[in-house]
Amino acid sequence: MSVQTEGTDTAGEPAVRKARVPAPPRGDGRSPGAPSRRHAAAPYLLLLPALLATAVLLGWPLVKNGMLSFQNLNPRQLIQHLTEWNGVDNYQEVLSGDDFWRVVGRSVVFTAANVVLIMVLGTLVGLLLARLGKKMRLLLMVGLVLAWAMPVIAATTVYQWLFAQRFGVVNWVLDKLGWHSMADHNWLQTQFSTFAVVTLLIVWQSIPFVAINLYAATTTIPKELYEAASLDGAGAWKGFTSVTLPFLRPFLYATTFLEVIWVFKSFAQIFAMNQGGPDHLTETLPIYAYVEGVGNQHFGVGAAISFLTILVLLAITSYYLRMVLKQEEDEL
Amino acid sequence: MKRKLAAAIVIAGMMVSVSACGGDDGDDKNAGPDSFKGQTLTVWAMDGSTPDQWVKDVTAAFEKKTGAKLKFETQKWDGIQQKITTALSESNPPDVLEVGNTQTPAYAATGGLADLSDLKKEIGADWTPSVSQSSVYDGKQYAAPWYFTNRVVIYNKKIWAKAGIKDTPKTRDEFFKDLETIGKKTDAEPIYLPGQNWYFFDGLTIGQGADLVKKEGDKYVSNLGDPKVAKAMEIYKKYASYSKAPKDKDEATPQQAEVFAKGNTGAFIGMGWEAGTAVAANKAIEKDLGYFTIPGETPDKPEGVFLGGSNLAVAQGSEKQALAKEFLKIALSDQYEGQLAKLNGVIPNKKSLESNLKGNAVAEAAVPGSAVGGTTPLIPEWGAVENNPNPIKSYMTAVLNGKSPADAAKQVEDEINKRLAQQN
Repeated sequence: MSVQTEGTDTAGEPAVRKARVPAPPRGDGRSPGAPSRRHAAAPYLLLLPALLATAVLLGWPLVKNGMLSFQNLNPRQLIQHLTEWNGVDNYQEVLSGDDFWRVVGRSVVFTAANVVLIMVLGTLVGLLLARLGKKMRLLLMVGLVLAWAMPVIAATTVYQWLFAQRFGVVNWVLDKLGWHSMADHNWLQTQFSTFAVVTLLIVWQSIPFVAINLYAATTTIPKELYEAASLDGAGAWKGFTSVTLPFLRPFLYATTFLEVIWVFKSFAQIFAMNQGGPDHLTETLPIYAYVEGVGNQHFGVGAAISFLTILVLLAITSYYLRMVLKQEEDEL
Repeated sequence: MKRKLAAAIVIAGMMVSVSACGGDDGDDKNAGPDSFKGQTLTVWAMDGSTPDQWVKDVTAAFEKKTGAKLKFETQKWDGIQQKITTALSESNPPDVLEVGNTQTPAYAATGGLADLSDLKKEIGADWTPSVSQSSVYDGKQYAAPWYFTNRVVIYNKKIWAKAGIKDTPKTRDEFFKDLETIGKKTDAEPIYLPGQNWYFFDGLTIGQGADLVKKEGDKYVSNLGDPKVAKAMEIYKKYASYSKAPKDKDEATPQQAEVFAKGNTGAFIGMGWEAGTAVAANKAIEKDLGYFTIPGETPDKPEGVFLGGSNLAVAQGSEKQALAKEFLKIALSDQYEGQLAKLNGVIPNKKSLESNLKGNAVAEAAVPGSAVGGTTPLIPEWGAVENNPNPIKSYMTAVLNGKSPADAAKQVEDEINKRLAQQN
């Protein structure tokens, strides 16, 4: 389990690391002699920096955002520094329109499709890593790390060029391969096609994380277990389902959980690709909040949408959250 | 249990990094006359508006007269509305801003721009009324007209010669015929016109005498359903039929001038300065460049065009409003206004200065069009309609993809009306 937290620590997700910090070493504070006060306070002191950072960087903006969501805030109010409270009007406006619910449904389907693809392909690549020889494994690892290290906007720009209508490599290759009707194909013309390109991009970017961590997790499985299994007459499939999988299960849960969060809130890939178009049809919740809030300069409504976005995300991940909390309870 | 709580908080925090926006307070301003020495005036100008020589000369004149420093900061058009809104809300905004003419009423309504009525009395007596009009809101002058310009046809002489065309077209039908000839006789693309060059479309609606909005009761609603708008869109569609350009992109993605610079495009409809973009991309194209006025239905009346213009405004939150007005007096003086017109080929804010455009091929092609030009509706509510994703662009793409103009109009009307109804 310790392996995946190392890998999780990307720039955009400082909170993930913090998720590990609160776990104090078990059986602490039982120093020989009388339990001193200083020792009892130590874990809390250690916690303090992380909690402080969370409070300042996430807590305060969240409170601000919450306050904005109850205001009528447009350019005039922003420029003149007027505070016009309007109660739950923003929420009412958002929740009573069918736009919002359509976007919620779209976000859920989009997230599910991406996470399934990422987990299946990532797991396969991870298992491949475990099987490969030293040199090939290194090569594959380098490739994965490079894909993962690519900044989001740069990657999105590259994909835009790849799939550009007139001068894109993809259309050029398809044309050269004899598929001439694809020479001027517009990949961003329909909702499905735009989502397909975005999905390809996101899956490509996300596989390395899953694959490398899964590979790391497999290295912790004792070889003897496989030997024992094969002595008992287990084939490759049986060995996988009864030895590998049980070991990997907690890891798979955690990774899936993280991927759900990351895919759900992915913004740059979708927005930079086609601004949520054509005709708003690829707007997911974060894009919707941005377009309505910042784009249309309707900041109060945008804040309300972003708040609802958090609630939706909490609902989606509630199953896992419950599991984690239950586990912690059992351990205590 | 405490750990459970901590874990819950942290996990919730993890999901929160989705979005947030902020607004802050702090208000005070005052114009301090006399000792301008030691102050620095910040001017936001848009990409391409201020030629180097002009900046140099104006800065020298300004510093000599006031003793203060002048700092130009260049801004990009993309996303400019959000940027200006944010800037105006800050306690230390840029002092002078270039604001697009169609966006000026919206900013005037926010209260972010200073009232320049006294400046208008002082130096604005002979500002061209049709141009000055965009900066008047509620009877007050909220900005000074700076310059305007309109689109022309920029064409590749070599390709036209190869197609055997001797003269530039005088009517729309002649133009279509020429494009057809180019398509038949050369392997070049006759014209590059992406589906969302919406300022060109706006010009066509002006040519048809149509408005994009109409008043219903006391509020504005979409007028895209008007048959005149449909007619304008049909003309656009006909133009687009000579192009292989993407139907769902505007002229900036990819930059149409750069596509044209590859030398395999007969013409495009653009601003004069886009010729410079083409030359920057491919030096060899320079000698083949030609310009003509977008032809209309009949030879005596060119096609309607959108008069894209810029105004200079002073931020209400600026502490240097007096100094800012000094800057405006210098920048808009006959000398420097004339110089800007000459250098950039843009139409100046006074008729008397138009002589500066003599010998400038682009400007000479643009001026006839400007006489029959117009703008988008000059109402504060309009600004929101232009925000991305612009519903008028969606309308255009829908028609080009085969929807009837009436159906396409219906499809985006709700969105436009919603935006027009947004309270400020």
